[in-house]
Amino acid sequence: MAYLIFSISLLLIYMGLAQLLHVQFGMLGIPNFGVVGFWGFGMYGVAVFNVQFGWPFLFALVITCLLVAILAYGLGMLILRLEGQAILCATLAFSAIVTLLVITEKWLTFGVVGLGTIQYPVRIGAATEIIYFMLLLLIIGSFQLAINKLHQSRLGRLTIAIRDNEELAASLGKDTFKTKLILFTLTSCLMGMLGGLSAPLNQFLTPNMLVPGVTFAVWIALVLGGKENTFGAMLGVFITFGLFDILVETYLPVSPEYAVMVPNFKLFLYGAVLVAVLVYRPAGILNNRQAHTRWPNADLS
Amino acid sequence: MLNVTRLSSGYGEVNVLNDITFSVGNEIFAVLGANGAGKSTLLKTLAKLIPVTQGHIEWQGRDITRAPAYSLPAQGVAYVPQEHNVFSDLSVAENLSVGALTGSRTRDEKLDEIYELFPRLADRKDQFAGSLSGGEGQMLAVSRALMQDPSIILLDEPSAGLSPLFVDTLFEKISEIRQQKSVTIVLAEQNATKTMEIADRLLVLSLGEVHLLKPVKELDMKQLMEAYHI
Repeated sequence: MAYLIFSISLLLIYMGLAQLLHVQFGMLGIPNFGVVGFWGFGMYGVAVFNVQFGWPFLFALVITCLLVAILAYGLGMLILRLEGQAILCATLAFSAIVTLLVITEKWLTFGVVGLGTIQYPVRIGAATEIIYFMLLLLIIGSFQLAINKLHQSRLGRLTIAIRDNEELAASLGKDTFKTKLILFTLTSCLMGMLGGLSAPLNQFLTPNMLVPGVTFAVWIALVLGGKENTFGAMLGVFITFGLFDILVETYLPVSPEYAVMVPNFKLFLYGAVLVAVLVYRPAGILNNRQAHTRWPNADLS
Repeated sequence: MLNVTRLSSGYGEVNVLNDITFSVGNEIFAVLGANGAGKSTLLKTLAKLIPVTQGHIEWQGRDITRAPAYSLPAQGVAYVPQEHNVFSDLSVAENLSVGALTGSRTRDEKLDEIYELFPRLADRKDQFAGSLSGGEGQMLAVSRALMQDPSIILLDEPSAGLSPLFVDTLFEKISEIRQQKSVTIVLAEQNATKTMEIADRLLVLSLGEVHLLKPVKELDMKQLMEAYHI
């Protein structure tokens, strides 16, 4: 049971990352390939402040979020005027730098030895994990509500206009760079917050948690679910992480002699579904057209 | 009044426009020239989407040479690009709303006026702009510029890629907009014949330089042919 709660809590973290990537890429067109960098910085930030400096968890989380926001703002100032491919490379490089710093700055992070143990902010006996899970559920639910509101708002319409044609949006009196910078900073900061919230779940952190695979998993989920759809991110993570990683890999009832095949079977299913979606639903399972018809009475004021 | 003085601009190190000087009053001011003459570059430079490398642009007494593109609509400048001029993932009504932030009238007042001027857009207001025909897309782009209540519209080759029948309709509409709203129009065009029917003055560009600047009534066709290297 404890493992199931841990798995579903991690699933919620991934859903949050995919939701934030939906805002960055699906709505604004910013190809952030440094998701693991922001998430990892948040996770290690909270761990270092909490374990090394002895700061209370919440205080460590707030300071870490501020640091991630400053980092994202600085990075955004440097890269958001560049073309898509350049942003992709720059953000990927940023996440690699974060991982390398975690490995090399042993005085702070203990490098490959690992850093722990990170305690939950409050311990309420056996119910701690469930309450923490409920907190995550509340946060991800709030993200979803905020994204729904954003889609129906003037700002949401502006983000889609920027994604569609930034030059045209600028010629209509929109400060496109400022809009992108603010939203990139905010969403990256929230990725850092999710990282910080992941720290007590994992309890013990090692640099091999900060592999590019985290970024790719979030991207695959978003592409699969529908990058431009409000609910695409959640659906994508539910399929990739929920169905394949949790249900198939952990809970598929197989006899011991076939158990060794399960991880490969999971990867096969993963690939097959992704290929099928890209062939038959290139815009994702929930595509953009559905998103628009869902909001026929969106606020146009 | 738009005053352009010794303007040069281009893309990176490639200079396209060289030493261009002209003024535009309350009129339809046409910019003609062969392919590659610099018409679109001139309009993009005026819309501040391409940086000025030399010279000055003054609009209504203000120097806007270094002003960012996003600051111009608030000063009454609207720009309609030749291509990619609608937000294809937004509906017709949403496209129009994106352009409605400036001006003193309400969005609904402006929308009513647009739908009266272009009834076809009213029929398609909930349709995605990406699914419109070329002509309808052009209508939408011009309408979105009108939503800004502009004092000047920079219109880049609105007839490009349209059927001859629709070109006639579009030029009629441009003329109608000019008469009804008394808005200044800078019209870059390939279609010299149609343009001369509605324009007050012509600027003919040749290889990025002013070849000819004259009222349409005083135009010598031979000079125009020379500018087009015919």
